[in-house]
Amino acid sequence: MSEVIVITSGKGGVGKTTTTANVGMGLAMLNKKVVMIDTDIGLRNLDVVLGLENRIVYNLVDVVEGKCRLKQALIKHKKYPELCLLPSAQTRDKDAVTPEQMIELVNELREEFDYVLLDCPAGIEQGFKNAVAGADRALVVTTPEVSAIRDADRIVGLLEAGEMKRIDLIINRIRMDMVKRGDMLKVEDVCDILSINLIGVVPDDEQIVVATNQGEPLVGGSSLAGQAYYNICNRIVGEEVPFMDLDAKKGLFGKLKDIFKK
Amino acid sequence: MTKEVVIKSNKYGMELILSDQLPFQELLQIIGEKFRESGNFFKNAKMAVSFSGRVLSTEEEIKIVDVIMANSDIQIVSIMDQGGLQEERMKNRLEAAADAAGIPRRRTARRAQTTAATEEGEVPQGKGSDAPVKKPESVRSTKVSSEKTHLTHAEKASAVDLQGGFYKGNLRSGQVLECPASVTLIGDVNPGARIESAGNVVVLGALKGNACAGMNGDSSCFIFALDMQPIQLQIGDVIAKSPDKVKDSRHLFKKEKAVQGAYSPQIAVAREGTIYVEPMTKGCLDKL
Repeated sequence: MSEVIVITSGKGGVGKTTTTANVGMGLAMLNKKVVMIDTDIGLRNLDVVLGLENRIVYNLVDVVEGKCRLKQALIKHKKYPELCLLPSAQTRDKDAVTPEQMIELVNELREEFDYVLLDCPAGIEQGFKNAVAGADRALVVTTPEVSAIRDADRIVGLLEAGEMKRIDLIINRIRMDMVKRGDMLKVEDVCDILSINLIGVVPDDEQIVVATNQGEPLVGGSSLAGQAYYNICNRIVGEEVPFMDLDAKKGLFGKLKDIFKK
Repeated sequence: MTKEVVIKSNKYGMELILSDQLPFQELLQIIGEKFRESGNFFKNAKMAVSFSGRVLSTEEEIKIVDVIMANSDIQIVSIMDQGGLQEERMKNRLEAAADAAGIPRRRTARRAQTTAATEEGEVPQGKGSDAPVKKPESVRSTKVSSEKTHLTHAEKASAVDLQGGFYKGNLRSGQVLECPASVTLIGDVNPGARIESAGNVVVLGALKGNACAGMNGDSSCFIFALDMQPIQLQIGDVIAKSPDKVKDSRHLFKKEKAVQGAYSPQIAVAREGTIYVEPMTKGCLDKL
């Protein structure tokens, strides 16, 4: 039974594309057949984050307009042949595609892949409507900032009005040291405001920036963020994984100090 | 029914011998059927065409060309004057036309077959792209209807077009510069931007996006750039992508900068279905 998941947030810059890349790759690591669709027409960058920019020949709009076959536009990932990308067009805009066309496209992909991930553009206009149209399930990404949460709340409202079957929350770029000082909202606070199921918390991590620039998602790696994304993937496929202790990153000295405190 | 329309072909094109007994509409239908049947045989050849056996108005000729192109993948690049079916003349015109802008840009099967990157087409122009796309007027006005007058002066037109165009400024992501002849860009082509030309492409700046030379299938064209770091290159029907990024370069941007300081002008040419990028030396110049 295949699932179509849209990754959305409302606000820009909270990590939708990064999340899509990492979740897509993580699911591929779990031996699922995954296709990622970049629906951000005109501002594409999922291909860059995945390091597949130079392989693009055809794109989403070409497929929808019948200029090429769907198979021709799908780009296989370098490491995981079961992981495909359908890039968006750079020279067009969101109006080049309609929600009906997206539904048709998604249904075609559904037959061949276990998971279809839709990377949604920021905003709530045409691009958002296109991305959401064909989805069964949504991952709402937010950061622990009031502005991002405000937008996420609006998005959740829109998704619920559109009768999305399942909506999960990812809190991205949380900094435990700031939370402890009381300078940042706690995970619980965010969950209280949005009151949807939490599927993962990803700590702020320098490695994400490095990985993005290199075009190599860090899911499954040794970094905390990589592990967090891997856990999210496991939860998506339906496994029970306990939430990580995000304070764990302390090094030997920190751990010793903890012992002595006791 | 075969008597009404007879297609004769030679090396450079074909002659349609048309009956003058039938009404024009009926004739059109027969032509359409004929080409539908034999369209596959011609594939997407570029051809010159001439008519005889019937006096046709310009409009009628254009209608016939439309019907031919609608029913087959043939690209009609030139309509010859009546009775002027000399192979030599046809050849000259055809070659001139192929170089010049006058080729009707019906990209259907041909483009798909060449796995070419197709983002441009009739895309930009106001709606959609915010890009202030600079297109030479001759491209916009190139339609079948303008063709005949154009090709009657084929030699003159090609001489003008082959001089190519100069453009100043940077092409940013999402912008497409399309040119019917060779093009020189004074500025950079950023990642996500695209420069296209039926002839050669010269970038006096950094080429970091996509470039396509000889977009009508001429693989003898070249792409030149002062700083060659393209995402994809296309020459004629040959397409090449850049090598993947080297992993584990922790100081990604620092390294790139270091390399940038040492760049040298490079030229890309296509040989036997492969694109070669080599430093611009005097030897290269001689080969061109």
